[in-house]
Amino acid sequence: MNVKYPMMLLGAAAFALYGAGVMLADDQQLDAETKARIEKYEQGPATIDVSKYPQGIQDNYEVFSQKCSQCHKLSRPINSDYAAPDEWSRYVKRMMHKPGSGIDASDGKKIYEFLVYDSSVRKKAMLDEKLARMSAEDKAAAEARVKEVHDKYDNK
Amino acid sequence: MSDELNCCSKPDAEPTASRKPMPVWLFVLTLVLLFLGAVYFDHHSGWFDRQVYVPYATAEELAFYQPKSGAAAMAAHGRTVYETVCGLCHGNDGLGKPNQAPPLAGSAWVSKDVTSLARVPLAGLNGPILVAGHEWNLSMAPMGAGLSDADLAAVLSYIRTSWGNNSGAVSADEMKAARAAISGNVPSAEALAKMTPVERGHAVFQKYGCFQCHGQDGKGGVPNLNAKTAEQVPSLIYVADGYTKAELIAFISRGERNIPRKNPAGPEPPHFMPKWGPIISTNELSDLADFLFSLKPKGENLGF
Repeated sequence: MNVKYPMMLLGAAAFALYGAGVMLADDQQLDAETKARIEKYEQGPATIDVSKYPQGIQDNYEVFSQKCSQCHKLSRPINSDYAAPDEWSRYVKRMMHKPGSGIDASDGKKIYEFLVYDSSVRKKAMLDEKLARMSAEDKAAAEARVKEVHDKYDNK
Repeated sequence: MSDELNCCSKPDAEPTASRKPMPVWLFVLTLVLLFLGAVYFDHHSGWFDRQVYVPYATAEELAFYQPKSGAAAMAAHGRTVYETVCGLCHGNDGLGKPNQAPPLAGSAWVSKDVTSLARVPLAGLNGPILVAGHEWNLSMAPMGAGLSDADLAAVLSYIRTSWGNNSGAVSADEMKAARAAISGNVPSAEALAKMTPVERGHAVFQKYGCFQCHGQDGKGGVPNLNAKTAEQVPSLIYVADGYTKAELIAFISRGERNIPRKNPAGPEPPHFMPKWGPIISTNELSDLADFLFSLKPKGENLGF
């Protein structure tokens, strides 16, 4: 007759479990690994101190801030583990080809140049590590792409 | 009674806290409750036996207890296929989702002849249809094109006998006949073997109905209400710019359930990218990626 008390306890426990289950189920919409990666990036700083970068790159930073923040937090690309020029080239093109992105080819190029320049300064360690893992041919190509951006903007 | 109380009250007496022993009845009640709790635990729990709370350590162990043959096994298998492939849109309860997929429970489409019903998962379905008195104007990709006859028979049987539907099971033989009747112009295995990867990839693109959402040859233009991507399903002609082959295959396999909304307060966009990994085979995915890469207009160069 006095089974109500334990039943209530069990009920509360079941409710708590159910709640946890529902929350977990909701979270699984994006695969866990990707979600964790993106969340980690988004928790980092959302701006970059570009005061020491050349003026052209500072201008490109403005384009980057304005265009990219239309759809996602700026902290996502800023803290991401992309650093190599071909990674940025693919990523920028992937975003600009989304219908309605409002990023044309010249904006896309400015954003790409900013990201490559920034990665070669602020993320130098990460870029060097990526370069070290490439084949000699890929490494030379990547270094040439970084140099191309520096030649265009440095000391101007 | 009240007179008696009045007579004995002392107006100048201050209430004071005093140490009183815990009443015996409360002590007894606590013991009784503890006892009843213990009795309940004894009767209704498995004590501390792990097996009771985590009965199946592995999938194989669980599979051991599943029905092995006959109608029960077919129903269980049909349900598994349904919840993996169909349930995401049509709901595990068969009730459908507004602006996404019509209900299967009580739908006259489900009780049609096997060939007509099988045409939906095998060839997809586009445009306005009437289901249970309401018009639905959506499009479905041929989500069942990659399933075997046995899997399709099981899932259609499950749909036809669940949620109050009562129109009889479908056998694998019936399914085979229905598939043959529907897919008259699908290239044969011999024809496929002679094709280049890009040509085979085009056949894969047609087979799984990618064009239903991404347009003929991936040219885009299919509306997707309230999607952030200009309320359209994206075109595919520039995937060569944005993805490596491995990244593209991983994306198609994973799908994208959450389509960002143009207006955050607006409705959920009806189309999303299904999780194709369990449906399209590895070889087909490789050919499909080659085909998609071939779509990029020749001579276009963004200069970065």
